[in-house]
Amino acid sequence: MKKLFALMLTLIMALSLVACGGGEAADDGAADDGAADGAKVVVFWYDESDVYLSSVRDALNKEFASLGITPDNQFAANNQTTQLDQINTAIAGGADILVVNQVTSGASDTAEDIIAAAGDIPVIFFNRAIGTDGSDITVLNANSTIAFIGTDAPAAGHMQGKMIGDYVVANYDAIDLNGDGSISYAMMKGDEANVEAIYRTQFGVEDANAVLTAAGKPALVYFDAANTDCYQVDQAGAWSAAAAKEYMDTNFVSYNEASGNMIELVICNNDGMAEGVVASLQEKGYNVEGGHTVPVFGVDATDNAKALIAEGAMTGTIKQDAQGMAAAVSQTVKAVVDGAAPVDALAGLNDARFSLNADCATMLYVAYAPYTGE
Amino acid sequence: MEQNVLLKMEGITKTFPGVKALDGVSLEVQRGTVHALMGENGAGKSTLMKCLFGMYVKDGGHIYLEGKEINFKNSKEALDNGVAMVHQELNQALKRSVMDNIWLGRYPTIGGIAVNEKKMYNDTMAVFEELGIKVDPHRIMSTMPVSQRQMVEIAKAVSYNSKVIVFDEPTSSLTEEEVEHLFEIINMLRDRGVGIIYISHKMAEIKRISDYITVMRDGQWVATERAEDLEMNDIIRLMVGRELTNQFPPKTNTPGEVYLQVEGITGMYNQLRDVTFDARRGEIVGLAGLDASGRTESLESIFGIRTRKEGKITLGGKPCLNRHARESIKNGFALLTEERRATGIFGVLDIKENTVISSLKRHKRFGIYLSEKSQREDTQRYIDAMRTKTPSQETKIRSLSGGNQQKVIIGRWLLTDPEVLLLDEPTRGIDVGAKYEIYQLILDLANKGKTVLMVSSEMPELLGVCDRIVVMSGGRVAGEVDAATTTQEEIMTLAAKYV
Amino acid sequence: MTNPVANLQRTAAEYKKMDQKDQKRFWSDMILNNALYILMAIFVIYTAIKEPSFRTLGSLANLLTQVAAYLPLALGIAGCIVLTGTDLSAGRVVGLTAAVAGVFMQKSDFANKMFTSIPEVSGGWIAATLLIVVLIGAAIGLVNGFFVAKFSLHPFIVTLSTQLITYGIILWFFALNGNNGQPISGLSREYKDFVGGAMFRLGGVAVPRYVLYAALLTALMWFIWNKTTFGKNMFAVGSNAEAAKVSGVNVFMTTMLVHTLAGAMYGYAGFIEGVRAGSVAASTGLNAECDAIAACVIGGVSFVGGTGKISGIILGVFVLRIIFVALTMLGVDSSSLYIIKGAIILCACALDMRKYLVKK
Repeated sequence: MKKLFALMLTLIMALSLVACGGGEAADDGAADDGAADGAKVVVFWYDESDVYLSSVRDALNKEFASLGITPDNQFAANNQTTQLDQINTAIAGGADILVVNQVTSGASDTAEDIIAAAGDIPVIFFNRAIGTDGSDITVLNANSTIAFIGTDAPAAGHMQGKMIGDYVVANYDAIDLNGDGSISYAMMKGDEANVEAIYRTQFGVEDANAVLTAAGKPALVYFDAANTDCYQVDQAGAWSAAAAKEYMDTNFVSYNEASGNMIELVICNNDGMAEGVVASLQEKGYNVEGGHTVPVFGVDATDNAKALIAEGAMTGTIKQDAQGMAAAVSQTVKAVVDGAAPVDALAGLNDARFSLNADCATMLYVAYAPYTGE
Repeated sequence: MEQNVLLKMEGITKTFPGVKALDGVSLEVQRGTVHALMGENGAGKSTLMKCLFGMYVKDGGHIYLEGKEINFKNSKEALDNGVAMVHQELNQALKRSVMDNIWLGRYPTIGGIAVNEKKMYNDTMAVFEELGIKVDPHRIMSTMPVSQRQMVEIAKAVSYNSKVIVFDEPTSSLTEEEVEHLFEIINMLRDRGVGIIYISHKMAEIKRISDYITVMRDGQWVATERAEDLEMNDIIRLMVGRELTNQFPPKTNTPGEVYLQVEGITGMYNQLRDVTFDARRGEIVGLAGLDASGRTESLESIFGIRTRKEGKITLGGKPCLNRHARESIKNGFALLTEERRATGIFGVLDIKENTVISSLKRHKRFGIYLSEKSQREDTQRYIDAMRTKTPSQETKIRSLSGGNQQKVIIGRWLLTDPEVLLLDEPTRGIDVGAKYEIYQLILDLANKGKTVLMVSSEMPELLGVCDRIVVMSGGRVAGEVDAATTTQEEIMTLAAKYV
Repeated sequence: MTNPVANLQRTAAEYKKMDQKDQKRFWSDMILNNALYILMAIFVIYTAIKEPSFRTLGSLANLLTQVAAYLPLALGIAGCIVLTGTDLSAGRVVGLTAAVAGVFMQKSDFANKMFTSIPEVSGGWIAATLLIVVLIGAAIGLVNGFFVAKFSLHPFIVTLSTQLITYGIILWFFALNGNNGQPISGLSREYKDFVGGAMFRLGGVAVPRYVLYAALLTALMWFIWNKTTFGKNMFAVGSNAEAAKVSGVNVFMTTMLVHTLAGAMYGYAGFIEGVRAGSVAASTGLNAECDAIAACVIGGVSFVGGTGKISGIILGVFVLRIIFVALTMLGVDSSSLYIIKGAIILCACALDMRKYLVKK
């Protein structure tokens, strides 16, 4: 009996390996079709569960399919070393082009390591920045086999800040719940170390204040005077709704309407966190029909966020263009695979959604757009 | 007669690696009788019962209950069929209440979901009243003395309407009064037609309570007789199978000067009080007493693994602090513990590792490296010296028989070059042949001038091996006797002194 | 070590004596006991046929490099498992020590250098930094060991606590000196060369120096486990702590030392990790202990306690890395990779456990 059981275990183990072999057979066949174009395209994602990147991946897979390319998607579970192991393995496995969504955003050293490992193999970085304060441009200008497709990291922050400023100026008294003449806000940061999070956290407030000051209104005030950081961060670095909701729930205990110090505005680094904040507010009777609406702003324009905006539970978001990102990446990859240098591939893209960095011809930005409802 | 047979075990055989634990044993229990099962430790009584309850799978033989062949897979199934056991070591959920324990696994429920506490309470009280037990069903098991917990176990057996109840050494931790109560209950059960198997070492009890006696020896059935037809000497003769004198090697050691002095040991967390005695070079001193009389605690206090509040240990005139095992070993002490499996062997490690663990510094080279060669030599030397039966040094110790495990551990201690050996039940769970070898070993050590302190629950063993016996009672020394001239009665009287 | 030839001869002799039923049992036992390795061999052959690039020298170099990177952590954590414990703090300790090493090893002309007062990187400074991070790791291990040994707390609880505390320290560390949580970049060339510099090339793929270091560490650990009093005591405590105490083993010290040694290994792993990732972020080392524990249990370091071999740990790491490399090359998506990994750990341990169940 025991032995029978043990045999079954062995069988399960064998099956799990064979199962992957089977799945592989299908993949392999498809890859062979792709190989007609002579290309083995491997895409490295920092994590499989990121909402925005999932929509990019969806779009990208479709774009690649229409170009006759079958990409091999690899996920690093938010671990840079895992990603490097995957990259090295892919290189050993004969990849023709690496499309990298770098885990440690803003680390130019890591990008350089990847480029060095790749040697002559072209590398297209996308979405997550490969350097801060111009170090990304240095890296890009020093290597002819690479390119970066992303968003201008500060741009989302600037755009969000302006949107918030405009909205607050127009609705000042309605927002000022306790009527003390100043508006207290909360800020939800997605990841302590992510450059985009850092820019959004900074400019989301700075630019809003600039608009307010220009209109002769007092600047926003962070709700908790004791917190000199002026933000609350998802400690797991996951930009998660759960973390934002927990913070908001905790904030409510001491900051609420009854004690006259209610948070009157919430700025979030992404829509996921904004969703968490809205959920928390709704539990307390805000942002629902007939209740007061605390304006909540996010970034990404995910489907959920759009729905919330349509309901009136959320106020605005910044649209990260997943389709545009996918189009830019797929077309660049296709051009490079067909023999173009990355710089020419980018130059060949003809689309109003894209713009090249002024100082770097291999850095392409996909535009953001404010979104406050259709 | 035949229709009166309740339980019939026929030709039961069970083999363990290296040991034939049961060899065609048969046993018949009749309705409304108490059937005593006797034999030395390792005679196979417990194994036979474990086969009955399905804890061991028997290799051969048949078991019939009321004429129907049965083959229980576990004790739960046995219970459901009316065969219960009151264990020597109680298996109870100590953190739960009395009634939880009685109804465990078959809680009365309301609608199949919620436990019906009220019914459980009432049913428990009904059983208790019937048996004359005065225990609150809500009481937590761990707060009660062992005797009461045993009563609960009996009540549980009764609550299953058991036809056969096995009592395994039920009186070992009971006071005289409690024993009387237990016997009343047993008599009552007998009158109701329950068949009782009673396992005990205590002759007087057996003579009092039982109707039939079956004696086992070395895993074999020896005799079944009516109790009134057997005298105590007959039983001993049947159990031992030879004259008592042949059971022990001839005593050849001659005690020298006083070497170990133990003065006024009082335990911090146990009942030891003012334990004082001494032992000579080349002397074997026995520690006798009932269970929980403080024998084991004395040895462990001397060895420093139990905290002493007061007391002095002197070895050859030199005071020894013995604050922990390491210090005691350094001072020349060695302790063979009572619970071989729990505190003696390293089950998953091999013979070699088990042998050398206490004497690693013998093998150290260059201050750090342990020589493989010298470890192997030491191990082999003691395998040979003790005639340990093992396929190789790499054999895992848990696959050896109890006697061979014990030899390995004794070897471990001899390698530390001890002057004083503290042996706690050195022959427990070892078959008769191996016991003789262990006795010989103890005598040889004494002959070499070592001092041996030996705890044993087997009176004949103490009388046969020791020079002097210190009798303990209630945590104190009740007296000292000369092993050559004393009697079991004298020792028993002393053992009861402070109970 | 016993003579393998003699062992084989003995087994063969015993085999001849068996009857047919026992011979059948012998083979089925043999297959079950080695099921994992047999399957891995089949899997490797399959992958090699299916994916020609898998059987190149470069691929071997890549595999070796990865094994060398994951081995130190597994070697450290294995001691804790031998004591029937575990260590959940390993990954975070790697994160912290990687961060410290990273800060000490930043280029002096790097614009975002966290502490400008830290000297220029030299050979001596690299050695000092290695020593410092190993000591930091050992110190955290010492704390783990102390609480486990002194208060008889389960290592699960103790190391869960130190994991959180260490992460707190990491976040605090990353916010120092206006760094604001940014990854630590600008690692000096000397440091990178010392750790990751190519020793030689296999099939065009560089084999970094830390492969050599991993080999040396493995030899050191083998020595400690098999040839020292401490090693013997560790197995004794893991097998039966009570018996070990009675036998004169210093259980407290042994437990402390095992955890301290483990911590020192994490410190070394952290020293390597920064160079491997190219930069250090607050999330560096996250969940690294999971792979290490998995490698140990696959390699037969059992939670039963008192059992395990260095060779088993190496095999365990190899198994995990082979699965990773092969499945990556075959282009299997990572959701199935997780499922396969989980299934293999579960089955390997269940089969391993067969050896410890008492047969009745």
